Amino acid sequence: MSDGPARSGPSAGIAPFAQRYRGALADANVRGGLLGFQRSWQGTRDAQMLALEAIAGRGFGALRDEFAAIKDRVLAEPARYVAQFRAHAEAAGAVVVEVGSAAEANGYIADLCRRRGITLAVKGKSMVSEEIGLNAALAAAGVEAVETDLGEWLLQLAGDRPSHLVMPAIHWRRGQVAALLSRTLGEPFDADDIPAMARSVRAALRERFLHAGLGLTGANALIAETGSVMLVTNEGNGRLTSSLPPLHVVTVGAEKIVPSLADAIRQVRLLARSATGQPISTYTTFISGPTAGHELHIVLIDNGRSALAADPALAPALRCIRCGACANVCPAYQVVGGHAFGHIYTGPIGLVTTAAHHGLAAAAGPQSLCLSCGACATVCPVAIPLPAQILEVRREAFARGRGARLRRLAWRAFASRPLVAVASRLLALAALPLRAGGFTRLPFGLARRHVSWRTPPAIPWRPARARAALRAARAPLAPTAASGRRVLLFLQCVADRLAPEVPVAAAALLRAAGAEVIVPPDQHCCGLPAFDAGDHDAARRMARATIEALDGTDDIVTAAPSCVVMMLHDYARLFAGDPAWQARALGLAGRVHDLAGYLAGPARLPAGTLAAGDRAPVTVHRFCQGSHLLHAEDRLERLIADLCGVEVVPLAEAEVCCGFGGATSLAAPELAAGVLARKLANVGASGARVLVTDNPGCVLHLRGGAHAAGLAIRTLHVAEYLAARLPAAHASASPRGAGER
Amino acid sequence: MVTSAVETFRARAEEAQSSVHALAGWPEVAALAIALAGDGRVALAPSLARAQPALLAWLGARALLPDAAAPAASVADAAVGIVRGALAVAETGSVLLIEPDLADRCVSMLSRALIQVVERGRVVESLDAVPGALAEAGQPAYASLTTGPSRTADIERSLTIGVQGPHAVHVVVLG
Repeated sequence: MSDGPARSGPSAGIAPFAQRYRGALADANVRGGLLGFQRSWQGTRDAQMLALEAIAGRGFGALRDEFAAIKDRVLAEPARYVAQFRAHAEAAGAVVVEVGSAAEANGYIADLCRRRGITLAVKGKSMVSEEIGLNAALAAAGVEAVETDLGEWLLQLAGDRPSHLVMPAIHWRRGQVAALLSRTLGEPFDADDIPAMARSVRAALRERFLHAGLGLTGANALIAETGSVMLVTNEGNGRLTSSLPPLHVVTVGAEKIVPSLADAIRQVRLLARSATGQPISTYTTFISGPTAGHELHIVLIDNGRSALAADPALAPALRCIRCGACANVCPAYQVVGGHAFGHIYTGPIGLVTTAAHHGLAAAAGPQSLCLSCGACATVCPVAIPLPAQILEVRREAFARGRGARLRRLAWRAFASRPLVAVASRLLALAALPLRAGGFTRLPFGLARRHVSWRTPPAIPWRPARARAALRAARAPLAPTAASGRRVLLFLQCVADRLAPEVPVAAAALLRAAGAEVIVPPDQHCCGLPAFDAGDHDAARRMARATIEALDGTDDIVTAAPSCVVMMLHDYARLFAGDPAWQARALGLAGRVHDLAGYLAGPARLPAGTLAAGDRAPVTVHRFCQGSHLLHAEDRLERLIADLCGVEVVPLAEAEVCCGFGGATSLAAPELAAGVLARKLANVGASGARVLVTDNPGCVLHLRGGAHAAGLAIRTLHVAEYLAARLPAAHASASPRGAGER
Repeated sequence: MVTSAVETFRARAEEAQSSVHALAGWPEVAALAIALAGDGRVALAPSLARAQPALLAWLGARALLPDAAAPAASVADAAVGIVRGALAVAETGSVLLIEPDLADRCVSMLSRALIQVVERGRVVESLDAVPGALAEAGQPAYASLTTGPSRTADIERSLTIGVQGPHAVHVVVLG
């Protein structure tokens, strides 16, 4: 990956990240428009994927994996497939050129224009052309390049740029479009008469199509066995652009090659469903050589792609078919849009590829907005592990960014359990006078940016590990598969220090299910916060200590599924190249369980065991990573309904992230507040006044958010909710009990 | 329930805002074009005019053939265009247009309403038939799977029919 200066291209015209982030937050059109879009897109896309299963006889997962493997075959042997494509395209009469940089690509096209005497070009929508800054380069060479995709043309008229890979002007409202068109075309437009606007655009662009000497397009795929260019559009501008001018130039990366036409059809089946929720786009065109009397030039652009291909962690990003689905499910993208969440390439994929095309500096700001919820990886039709790749970019940004040394020191300190113990005692002491009803109330508007929308929790004097209740004996309620089993309880640093009632409740539940609960004394942090922040050295240090502390053969249970995700998915990557530790990490992964899964599995109590108690309806926030990485689905809902017999009210968008995102809510509090607001609105709409979830960080985030918003919602970790219903007769907790602070 | 490819094609094509007509022969196609054209002209793909010269006679003064020197300008915004489709695909309601000649393409790209005529025997179940059809045609320089009229959702995601391509598509299943 490049960490050098931005490559040639349009980066220079893009405002600094902080300015884009502030601008996006100030534009209410962005989040309002994108929220409606994400909701309707999800429904349409899901329905289309179900329909596809009926058509293809196989589901989304199988078709995705099959096509991803085909893309990988090409990416593994680029030279062979480029040669095959070139041979067939040239045999059909096309000119194929390979260029290294954006400047070379632009130079080649400008030179063609000069030699052919071309001064007007029409252009189909092409992200590669945005990537290389083609319009500006052509303008400098005296060639006017007119965008012909409606959205792109509007942006060009306004001097704006795309904020979405597929719907470039998604951040515009119809009133703005009507005003822009009125100014441009000199006739009044009714903002609600979009068909009239489309008709006028058709008329306005017609002359350009008829007189342009050059048609510029990208390509959705290149087909090696036939030398064909596949071009997908809905408006019909792609066919006109590639047909009418006597010269057609395609700008494309060689990663778009697929071996065969049959493979291109596989891509078609996934592409439109993922992009716009259509079964197929209106026009899917296969161009095999030039039209008689015309010229076709195909410019294969590297511009950082080889470097990306050489990086094993990031190479799968080259499978991308530019459907934009990753942005359509990204809760952070919904709040700030593509101008902040991305660079030229927007959305989660943009957070990965920007570093390769436009340098690490361009990628450093946007990558900090990723909440690591995993929604993008689940929806990606070519199985790109986007959250892991974004963390990889973050690691690079961490190592080379400003203040790297200081941050490294801070994480080194955090890796030390004794230091954290002392620090949290000091913090608890300092916060003592500010404690009010389970929260910390900061005076004088201190840290407003961080606490105005999320009241921080009270900081307990005694962590969970120091509480007698954690070790209090309890008679089993009923025999379970876990009866008599030794279970190591992993407390999690956040719960241990900020929500000690959660591990205490977890221990009580495990004992009620008959398990013998052991609390290994040397445990501290699994390493997730440092890993999330990009400091892999500190993360490894903590991971090793955790593996040591939890050594043995017993089951490990934690009430923090985020740590389970870390141990199951990230330890192996963290120890890549270190077989001994990787093996130990794998051994740990085989023994670790999240509490809800354990209570629904081996430690399952008979139905109705916890029926006594509060009957108020409950709604459940599904921890996003639990949904996307642990396949938890409706496990929590079923567990609560089964054990307690209370009504569990469905929560809309239950698995959409709550906005906690670890460090993201500290680095970009406004973004986190926006994501939280979406969640709390859904909770409010559910009608339930009790909100249960199972990740401690999310509990504190949601609880503080509901408090700051003045909502009468009680937020509980599932362990707290269930343990509060344990019969008192069986409890033998210490006298200091639950109120212990 | 066994659904024929034609029935499935009709359902999918209508979902994509095409109109589907089952017609017995070319005279009926001409009649449809005349009915759709009103006072306007009916542009004919030159390859179709060569294969079915009678169409020119039936259409009479309405008939419009692209000018060889300026095919686009000569048929732009014709009220109706008629082209021949190589396949109709039930899976997506698409019609495969094989159009290496620019003049044919100008009719399918620039007419306001487009009639695509596909023989009944060329209605296939799945997109998997497309690679074979293109190979059979000798990898033509230009072929498009078209599915309904041209559209955009670029302004506030509002589906708007009719942008640069035809604003109405009539698929005729012939015979």
